[in-house]
Amino acid sequence: MNRIVAWVLAVGGFVGLAASSVLTIEKIALLKNPFYVPTCSINPVLSCGSVMKTAQAEVFGFPNPLLGIAGFAVVTTLGVLLVAGVSLPNWVWIGLQVGVTFGVLFVHWLIYQSLYEIGALCPYCVVVWAVTIPIFWYTTLRNIRPAFQYHSVVLILWYLVIAGGVLQAFWFYWSSLV
Amino acid sequence: MSKNARLSLIIVAVVAVVIAGFVLFSRNNNTTAAPQSGGGKVSVVEYLDLECPSCRAAFPGVLKLKSEYGERVTFDVRHFPIPSHRNAELAAVAVEAAGAQGKRDEMFKLMFERQQEWGGQQTSQRSAFVTFAQQLGLDTAAFETALGDSALKERVLAQRTEGGKAGVTGTPTFFINGTKFTGAPTYEALKSAIDKALS
Repeated sequence: MNRIVAWVLAVGGFVGLAASSVLTIEKIALLKNPFYVPTCSINPVLSCGSVMKTAQAEVFGFPNPLLGIAGFAVVTTLGVLLVAGVSLPNWVWIGLQVGVTFGVLFVHWLIYQSLYEIGALCPYCVVVWAVTIPIFWYTTLRNIRPAFQYHSVVLILWYLVIAGGVLQAFWFYWSSLV
Repeated sequence: MSKNARLSLIIVAVVAVVIAGFVLFSRNNNTTAAPQSGGGKVSVVEYLDLECPSCRAAFPGVLKLKSEYGERVTFDVRHFPIPSHRNAELAAVAVEAAGAQGKRDEMFKLMFERQQEWGGQQTSQRSAFVTFAQQLGLDTAAFETALGDSALKERVLAQRTEGGKAGVTGTPTFFINGTKFTGAPTYEALKSAIDKALS
């Protein structure tokens, strides 16, 4: 379990950091060009620009991806240390648990908002969802039940529930494709 | 292989088979129901979304074309409310509700003129639409009843389904004599396409 957690944190943190950086850059581009007219398409991905203009995109008064840059940088650093074989003190694990719990709750709130309130998908946001869940799941398992056998089964089922939500929420678009 | 890895692979395989089966079986029903022209005249069908900024941008040009061509070209506006636009569907119902009192065109115009006030919101704009009805001098009670009328909603959604079958994936989409118009729907571009169809 320790090896898995180390790699999940290192790789997941890095991917999350990259996605948050791209989102921040896009946000700055959007601020520079506020007259950008969104295309009106049933394709939920093409209305991505509209996601970044919503109130949900800056819940705490500043763009969400800034939180991602800070958080994922810490996760990546800890992951790399673990991969290198460093053992972290308990209080660091507790701190990490608090951080990833906040992260996973926030991400699920954003998923709900994206699917049912905003009605659009933004690809880099989906990347952030996809890495935050295993980061939370494996950190929690390591801290609470390291012997749990079916760890990736739970992760896959978790992904499937969210994929089901995406399928249902944008059913009108998906059904136009087939 | 561990039990965990085996069970994970089984789940992934089952999901992949289900998706592949679904995609394969739902193919081959792409019967294009593109709107056809009627009786030698040129027909223009527009699918629009009242909350879409580019539909608002195209609207004045369409009005101008309508007045210039008169009887020679029939203009038909159909609803294609995009699901991510929170109020587009209700706006379409509101237009039809105004239509029931003979003010469909007026409501279209008002919806687009005031789009920046009610568009892009994530809360219901029902009260704004009722205010519009008052401004047009409609019977507000009847209008509000019509807003909740499931038959009107069905009509709007049926138009969207029909548009989807004809290949509409965004708005505004124009069909000139049943052929999908491609390119930016500016006044000039639409005019030359219509002139071509007339000649």
